Amino acid sequence: MDASREALVEMNVGEDRLDIEAIFHAHYERIARVIARVLKDPSRAEELAVEVFLKWSRNPGARGENASAWLYRVAVRAGLDELRRETRRSRRESLVRFFRPSPTPEDVRTAKEDREQVRAVLAAIQSRQAELLILRSDGLSYEELAAALNLNPASIGTFLSRAEQTFRKEYIKRYGSQ
Amino acid sequence: MDPNKNEWVEERLAALRPDGQWHADVSRGLARLRERRQLKGNRTRRWRWVAAGAIAASIPLMAFPTTRAFAQRCVSACVGQSNWVHGLLAHNVSGAVPSSVLSKPTERAMAPDFVLADASGKPVRLSELRGKVVLLNFWATRCAPCSAEIPWFIEFQKGYESAGFATIGVSLDEDGWSAVKPYIEAHKIDYRVMVGNDDLAQLYGANSLPTTFIIDRSGRIAVTHVGICGKGEYEADIKRVLDERD
Repeated sequence: MDASREALVEMNVGEDRLDIEAIFHAHYERIARVIARVLKDPSRAEELAVEVFLKWSRNPGARGENASAWLYRVAVRAGLDELRRETRRSRRESLVRFFRPSPTPEDVRTAKEDREQVRAVLAAIQSRQAELLILRSDGLSYEELAAALNLNPASIGTFLSRAEQTFRKEYIKRYGSQ
Repeated sequence: MDPNKNEWVEERLAALRPDGQWHADVSRGLARLRERRQLKGNRTRRWRWVAAGAIAASIPLMAFPTTRAFAQRCVSACVGQSNWVHGLLAHNVSGAVPSSVLSKPTERAMAPDFVLADASGKPVRLSELRGKVVLLNFWATRCAPCSAEIPWFIEFQKGYESAGFATIGVSLDEDGWSAVKPYIEAHKIDYRVMVGNDDLAQLYGANSLPTTFIIDRSGRIAVTHVGICGKGEYEADIKRVLDERD
């Protein structure tokens, strides 16, 4: 390879890195926040957000103008998957705790926490509906929601109200309507 | 329906807001991203080096006849095995595993006789070659391993003709002579080539290509090779069958 071609390749690699980092700077905080909405541990949310960007940087189809929609979609899914894993883990642990004489004060406090209840409901309902509710609660507009979840923008209102209805039913079933 | 339903859900979902003034640390995230990208790149590069090293190490090994013969046997065994499995699935006529080792003269079956016209239209009868050792090769122009063997057969024909050896190629090309004749000319095949048919292939149990038989001077099948095999292996078999004295 001659020197000029080598320099050109190096320049392209450098430019690519700069592009990736520019997008990272522009979106990282919001992407990490979307994941942090569903996870107990914010540092785990940051780790997952980096993984989302890593995946994105290795997927040429996700680059370009649809980058933010792609990032939101993958981030909310990564967060929900992790939430479900956590829920399964805690269910296993609670089975073990069943043999203990009484719940610890920590258990009582955690169970009462609104946030954990909301997360438990999100883990239980259909993924698509949970994704919609999480992204909406993060302040995404109807257009952004449609782009992120590959939905028809005209039907977002309907989808959203259906998702809210499902959420409400599941919540009331579990915790009553207080 | 409750008119305040949306507000109710929104209120619940508001509980998901991260604590206080929590913000993801961009510089830490960026450092982690760089590290992860670097790690993945290194791993890919390392595998490339390992693969290149393995190839580079195997090239000099191919220079030694022993290792080359070993590699040939491995390839031959692989191809032979896959053809054997294929043969079993396709209910090989003989139902037996083709023998790729020289069998004892007393245990050999007679090679079924046939008459086919060669490229010049002259009929060739297998039994007329009695007294000669015959390498009977079932092949086709589109079969890549068959093409690999053909130059060896040309060489054997040249080298052992005077010792009483003949090669016969039976092509199983569906297009018949229109495909075979140009191939003979292009590859300068100087042994006799005929165009066969499915019945003959079935008779010999040649369900996969190439299949090669070495027929002894009495017209009995001494060795059957299914799939490509090493040139040295063919040559050794030819010599041993030529040296046999009944």
